[in-house]
Amino acid sequence: MNWQRMIKTFTAGAVLTVLSAFVQGNYSSPMPKISLPYKKMGLTQEQAAAHLLSRFSFGATPGQVKAVADMGVEKWLEQQLEGKLPDDEVNRRLAGYDALALNNQAIVNTYLNAGQVVRVAAKNNLLDKDSIKSLDKPEYRQQLRQLMDQQGFKPQQELQRQLINQKIIRAAYGQNQLQELLTDFWFNHFNVSLTKGQCQQYVMTYERDAIRPHVFDNFETLLEATAKHPAMLEYLDNATSVSNDNDMARRQQNNAYLKAMRQRMDTMAEDTSAAGKILQQTLKARKTQGLNENYAREIMELHTLGVDGGYTQKDVTEVARALTGWSVAPLYKEGPGMKLMEAAGGVNNLVKRGFVIEGDFMFRADKHDENAKTILGRIFPANGGYQEGMEVLHMLANHPSTARFICTKLATRFVADTPSAVLVSKMSDAYLKTGGNIRAVLVTMVNSPEFWDNKALREKVKSPFEFAISTIRATNADIQQPFQIYNWVTRMGQRFYFYQAPTGFPDRASYWINTGSLLNRMNFGLAFATEKIPGVKLNLAALNDNHEPESAEAALMVYSKLLLPERNLDENIRRLTAMVRDVNLEQKINEAADKTAAPDASMANMTSQDEMMETGRPARGKKGNQNAALSKKNLPLTTLYVAGNVNTVSQVTGIIIGSPEFQRK
Amino acid sequence: MVNRRAFMKSGAMALFAAGIGGVPGFVARAADSRKIISPYKKGKVLVCIFQRGAMDGLMAVSPYSDPNLKTLRPTLYMSPAQTEGKMIDLDGRFALHPSLQSFAPFFTEGRMAVVHGVGSPNNTRSHFDAQDYMESGTPFSKSTSSGWLNRAVGLMGHDATPFRAVSLTSALPRSLYGDNEALAINNLQDFAIQMRGNPLASNLASKSFEQLYDQTSNQILNKAGKESFDALKMLNVNNIKNYQPVSGVVYPNSPLGNSLKQIAILIKMNIGLEVAFAESGGWDTHFNQGTLNGALARNLKDFSDSIAAFWKDMDAYQDDVTVMTMTEFGRTAHQNGTGGTDHGRASCLFVLGNDVQGGKVYNNMKTLAREDLEDNRDLPVSTDFRSVFSAVANGHLKINNNQKLFPTWEGQSLGVMKA
Repeated sequence: MNWQRMIKTFTAGAVLTVLSAFVQGNYSSPMPKISLPYKKMGLTQEQAAAHLLSRFSFGATPGQVKAVADMGVEKWLEQQLEGKLPDDEVNRRLAGYDALALNNQAIVNTYLNAGQVVRVAAKNNLLDKDSIKSLDKPEYRQQLRQLMDQQGFKPQQELQRQLINQKIIRAAYGQNQLQELLTDFWFNHFNVSLTKGQCQQYVMTYERDAIRPHVFDNFETLLEATAKHPAMLEYLDNATSVSNDNDMARRQQNNAYLKAMRQRMDTMAEDTSAAGKILQQTLKARKTQGLNENYAREIMELHTLGVDGGYTQKDVTEVARALTGWSVAPLYKEGPGMKLMEAAGGVNNLVKRGFVIEGDFMFRADKHDENAKTILGRIFPANGGYQEGMEVLHMLANHPSTARFICTKLATRFVADTPSAVLVSKMSDAYLKTGGNIRAVLVTMVNSPEFWDNKALREKVKSPFEFAISTIRATNADIQQPFQIYNWVTRMGQRFYFYQAPTGFPDRASYWINTGSLLNRMNFGLAFATEKIPGVKLNLAALNDNHEPESAEAALMVYSKLLLPERNLDENIRRLTAMVRDVNLEQKINEAADKTAAPDASMANMTSQDEMMETGRPARGKKGNQNAALSKKNLPLTTLYVAGNVNTVSQVTGIIIGSPEFQRK
Repeated sequence: MVNRRAFMKSGAMALFAAGIGGVPGFVARAADSRKIISPYKKGKVLVCIFQRGAMDGLMAVSPYSDPNLKTLRPTLYMSPAQTEGKMIDLDGRFALHPSLQSFAPFFTEGRMAVVHGVGSPNNTRSHFDAQDYMESGTPFSKSTSSGWLNRAVGLMGHDATPFRAVSLTSALPRSLYGDNEALAINNLQDFAIQMRGNPLASNLASKSFEQLYDQTSNQILNKAGKESFDALKMLNVNNIKNYQPVSGVVYPNSPLGNSLKQIAILIKMNIGLEVAFAESGGWDTHFNQGTLNGALARNLKDFSDSIAAFWKDMDAYQDDVTVMTMTEFGRTAHQNGTGGTDHGRASCLFVLGNDVQGGKVYNNMKTLAREDLEDNRDLPVSTDFRSVFSAVANGHLKINNNQKLFPTWEGQSLGVMKA
């Protein structure tokens, strides 16, 4: 049954056209022209290039500052705002990532979640009531794994691994850096989380379909795409927010056809098989469902207006009512939703009855609150249906509070932890004039002197992810096991895709920098530069045209300049020179190492785990396959196990990476 | 009054500062003699253990005398009357699961209180949502950016130290999100700049970093750098590697046992720990939860043995430590078709410490008759979790601002702590 393709024809096309005409007709302000005032602010081309690269990319690659200065910073910016540079390197590295192209339906039916696994097990009588088998028992897990393999199912952690690795690969090797940076920004703004089981399966497509393609669009497009994506619908519970206060529900009581349909469903639910039981539970759960305000609250507080944006609890409830019925289309072939839809006469029938199905989004007309609402002072008359929710999104996206809130957040990300009010107000003006065009807002930002002000330079501290990726980029490193980088980023305090709260990670230095995270940053620098992180391949000599520095001092000088272009390094170098001046240092270090080095079991263990990660196979002999990929045990230790030779160049490079200057951008 | 922070600043840290890089001499000597250095005076510590997955409170501490229970749970019913694997009677109404044997003496001695019928006013039965609400402490608001334990640390108002709030987890738990510094660490031995087998290289790197962070113009990096190196010197990894619990104490070799052992080390180091957080998993017993033996029994045994080992290991520190457990919700009053229980509403929790008014099962529970159950199926929440959490924070940590600790909550704290 390929109903998903079929439903494409049933989208409420006419309605959408009307709305988009309205949106476009309202705003015709042209895109501001790029005109960067860095010269006026006293910066050279090179300094401007270095600053722009530090904010609009995940860090400069060797030689990139000069290259961008040569081509012209404006030209580079234009390319980045287009986001259309060919990405051969990324494509090459993602060649084996088979999950990344799948749609939600394929994912849901392949990478089963915990609940689905249980259903499969129940259906195959693996969960025998009379035995003492338990989910924790190895033999049960073994059987289950076999069964899953046979039926072509794959473990969720493989999907998560591909999601995590692709983010690292795109950020490190992508040409369209600004697009990727904004993908990170908007994902965090509209946060969803792998910690929530109900939305786990959808996070990959959420980033791919709802975020990345729209990062330069109008904010409203982004808002709508997130609002309708299963990941958000599940994460903030709107999928289960329903009302029975509507005509359809009432008619069901009297209409013979609908009654018969209801009866068919009830009969199915009386089935005593495992599947019947699950259906029964679903029906029961649905009966007890009601209004859920979570999404309505967060769409105003976190996604659009901001906490002081001028809405009340009453508005929250009213928005929640307007969005009742905004839900996820049935995707799991064996799931109760699919069975219920069949019982209801299939997609055709639903669309006739006022349902709207767009891809994986489904507006359930029978669960929508049809009464009138008043939102932010505006009256929405009764029977607004699906269109009512669209208008609410439109209103929120174009509200002056939203302009201020979004622009403050963008300026915080790109300029300073506490951006100037003048800058934010310029950006907000551009936002409102262009109907929330993100490109226009960004151009306004970089056209402002505040962006180039001396106070803004090196003012931001890199997030752990930015720090790790900038390290890879600055050293031209070849990352063969991206998941190893993820483990380190986690330990530095940013377990991305797993941030639980809808607020997303805070964006300020004081959040990222504390004792534990800072030590981990230093250790990351050392481990990375000495290639002690599995899969990290470095050629530090190549960065210096294969000239070996003649002394530790020379190495310090050369690699500081390579890794920190256009920074004032005098003080760094002066301080460190005293440390590395000992001519026999390298020899002493290696002698000391030879004496004490011992084969380290945990190191060997680490490597085999990584190989497992790379093949995506569940760990063998481990305690089950559940979350093997992400389990705490697999994290590498912060303490470094450097056995054998440490050469001066890598040691010095490690110190530069872990130094405070390299934490700044 | 000279508080311990003042002591730290003037005393111990001055000594640390005198050490030229690396590990100060006296720390090394202390490590040799396996003594643990004490730059702080002792202070109050709250240890929270989150049982993720929703513990079946009705089996852990069973209201066995209620005749409805046997009807609801034909094969899961246990009581003190049965001959084999009988429950431990607490008060004629409630009994401990036999796997919680380690708790029995604490209860008898009056150090442990059980609170039953605890949960959130928000009736969500989603693990994620319920944990989120319990940890943020705001059961109807998802966007509360901080966790209640982070706010607790802030309300105690002591100077920030690296080890004020520590979670023995790989990532920071929701409870500790927020403005006050909190450390998430799986293994304390990771807290080092070290190239094992290469002490000279690691020493050089450490000194270099210390110099660089000392000079940076970025204040946040500068301050955190300083604290990091102070902390490194305080938390000598040798102390951790060679740690010996009090004689006769054996921690279960389980994630929870290991977490609690590390918390014990931190407490004995007197390095300013105020709030510690640990987790225990596997409580989502939908299938074959078992009675005397089974998934739940195994989990309860690890849980209680770990806590008991920790408590005994606390030894001279017992007056300063309170342990509180929590779980996001309870499980259905009736058993399901697969020998387990499904997501329900209220569960129970344990509070252990010398400040606890123990030896009692605190509850406002009615019977398990159908009409007394929530939605005709679940033990209703008759005690808001915040009334217990706030009582412990008030009584043990001396925090007296429940409006800040639990915004929008207007309830009363439960008298579970000694006045």
